[in-house]
Amino acid sequence: MSAALHLPLLLERQQRQRSQRRRIGLSLLAAVFLFAFVGPLLLTADPAFQTLPDSLAAPGARYWLGADVLGRDVLARLAHAARLSIGLALLAALTAAVPGVLLGVTASWRGGRTERSLVMLADAVMSVPGLLLVLLFSALAPGQHWALYVGLSLSLWVEYFRVSRAASRPVLAGDAVQASRLLGLGPIYVLRRHLLPALAPVLGTLLAFSAAQAVLALAALGISGVGLQPPTAELGLMMIEFMPHYEEAPWLIAAPVGVLMTLVLGMMLLTGDGEIA
Amino acid sequence: MNDSPLLAVDGLSVHIGSRTLLHELSFALRPGEALTLLGESGAGKSLLAQAVMGNLPDALQARGSVLLDGQRSRAQDHAARRKRWGRDLALLPQEPAQALDPLVRLAPQWHETHQLVRGIDPAAARAATHAGLEAAGLAHAGERYPWQLSGGMAQRAAAGIAMAGGARILLADEPTKGLDAAWCDSTVRLMQQVQHAGGCVVVITHDLRVAQALGGRVMVLRQGEVVEQGDTEAVLRAPAHAFTRALIAADPARWPVRAAPPAGAPLVEARNLRKGFGAQKIFDGLALQVRAGERLAVQGPSGTGKSTLGNLLLGLLPPDAGTVQRAAGLAPTAFQKLYQDPVASFAPQISLEQSLRDAAGRHGAAWPEVEQRLQRLGVHGELLRRRPAGVSGGELQRIALVRVLTARPALLFADEPTSRLDPVTQRQGMEVLLDAMEESGAALLLVTHDEDIARSIGGSTLRLRPAV
Repeated sequence: MSAALHLPLLLERQQRQRSQRRRIGLSLLAAVFLFAFVGPLLLTADPAFQTLPDSLAAPGARYWLGADVLGRDVLARLAHAARLSIGLALLAALTAAVPGVLLGVTASWRGGRTERSLVMLADAVMSVPGLLLVLLFSALAPGQHWALYVGLSLSLWVEYFRVSRAASRPVLAGDAVQASRLLGLGPIYVLRRHLLPALAPVLGTLLAFSAAQAVLALAALGISGVGLQPPTAELGLMMIEFMPHYEEAPWLIAAPVGVLMTLVLGMMLLTGDGEIA
Repeated sequence: MNDSPLLAVDGLSVHIGSRTLLHELSFALRPGEALTLLGESGAGKSLLAQAVMGNLPDALQARGSVLLDGQRSRAQDHAARRKRWGRDLALLPQEPAQALDPLVRLAPQWHETHQLVRGIDPAAARAATHAGLEAAGLAHAGERYPWQLSGGMAQRAAAGIAMAGGARILLADEPTKGLDAAWCDSTVRLMQQVQHAGGCVVVITHDLRVAQALGGRVMVLRQGEVVEQGDTEAVLRAPAHAFTRALIAADPARWPVRAAPPAGAPLVEARNLRKGFGAQKIFDGLALQVRAGERLAVQGPSGTGKSTLGNLLLGLLPPDAGTVQRAAGLAPTAFQKLYQDPVASFAPQISLEQSLRDAAGRHGAAWPEVEQRLQRLGVHGELLRRRPAGVSGGELQRIALVRVLTARPALLFADEPTSRLDPVTQRQGMEVLLDAMEESGAALLLVTHDEDIARSIGGSTLRLRPAV
């Protein structure tokens, strides 16, 4: 009779904590998004405009976050870099989600040979480190946005596939789907009323995680010099550009690291409740 | 025998925040006495047992005091009683198979209780284990793992181990739920043994036969309050409170037997049916015919394929051998199913109204008609806006019934549809189901472990036996 010990108040408290995490995550994300998408419109400074006499200028009224070694406005560059990272990451995560989910649901629905071959394909992709896959694609067209985007999507879909295959299996095997099928409600109904509602929360979490993963991958590629090429403003590239000057101008390197951390932390807080609670 | 109580509860109540879940109650049991707690689901019976054990979740506060074998402790002081688990106070678990350690053979589990809980030396513990196994009829099973035991054996083992620490106070939370008659009897005998040995028993049950067998006193709880208490025999013979009367009348043994309508043409015929899962054969050479309007109860010990048989007839599972033939001209949706757990049979994320509307739409049933039927079954329209998890089992089973009726079934397979409900709700649920069958002329294939329910539907009974 565990039903008698079902504790609405206890659940309520947990829920409150969760919604608090979510609110913090949401406000962090909102701040970065605002900065990334509204910032470039308000900041009139050209992110690529060089004022060599202002090289490594300290933060002040003219340059809020200082200027880099070429005298470019760091704040403007940061806003453009954030927009690029967020845009590319979200696009890659979304385009990975659609085929990933469809293939995952197909695998657990059909079972048998279809499932085995799809799993084998996913395992093959998994066996190549994600970053390496992106590297391979960016080697095809160095410095091109589309190459990075395709590489990221191709490494991210596997997770959607695995999660949606695992999450849809119990739903498809459950009494609720059996009852719907007995009632003569077809596969589209099962997809719409049973599978998608069950998958939605999991996919929301996964979307934020894989977007965070893509942001980090982009930065890692920028740092290693094989991602986007200068003079593009990109978080990883900026970090590597600022690295040699960390003694004279330590505030420089702090800026892109801060934006990256806020962005990833916001995404984690927004959705990571199930993992920790 | 001395007259001081072995277990006494004084002014015990359980609260969460400012809400009272269990109102103040008191009782005292002397050696050899028994107390039966009756009441609907959610009445606070389990809370009472947990509070006595000292096993309440942290969010709940208990007030009052508990006297255990001469030692009084505050109800909230869980640690005081936790020390005495196994030694003075034992809980007979509801799911015995899950209470045993699946990775340890039976004899060592029994042995360590003697050695560690009772604190006797290894040689004596070995002898005591041997004697215990012998007494429980498990002498041959000491070297088996729990998953190699049958349900009844696991139950005797769990009970034996629970009592091995020498506890004289036994709490049992629905120990006979879902058991067939033979296993019920063995559980009751076990509790009687505790009584005869000078212990006392507190049992939570829906089964009046258990209360009668134990004698002693009975306490009837409703919504956290005691509505009636007294001598078991007297209360069962002449219940004073209306709720107690309803509870007693709801005992399946007292249900009237319905008259089944005359059976019509065959709906489905199974010949020479064989089915197994892996190496385990469930049945072989089974033949069965269900006719229009027929009432057929399927009974048998667990694991004999009662549900599997229904699923084969409905075409949800393929048979290993043999044929299942539907009568010609039946719609593909003419065979419907009611599930043991109604919550699991609805899509959890959408409202009940949406589920019902979808089913009605598929079968061209007008919505006002569906609403009318819901009303006749006593389901408030307001409930439909909720999701399945927010509605009680009894109400949800009615909504499930309305949903399958939109398909105008010729045969309804009901798999233990009321076994998770308390007796009052169970009786209402079965009445509603049988009324609906009569009205729609559908045949009913009912799986139940309860002989009385099987008898009350007024049809024939198919008994499945374990395959050898």
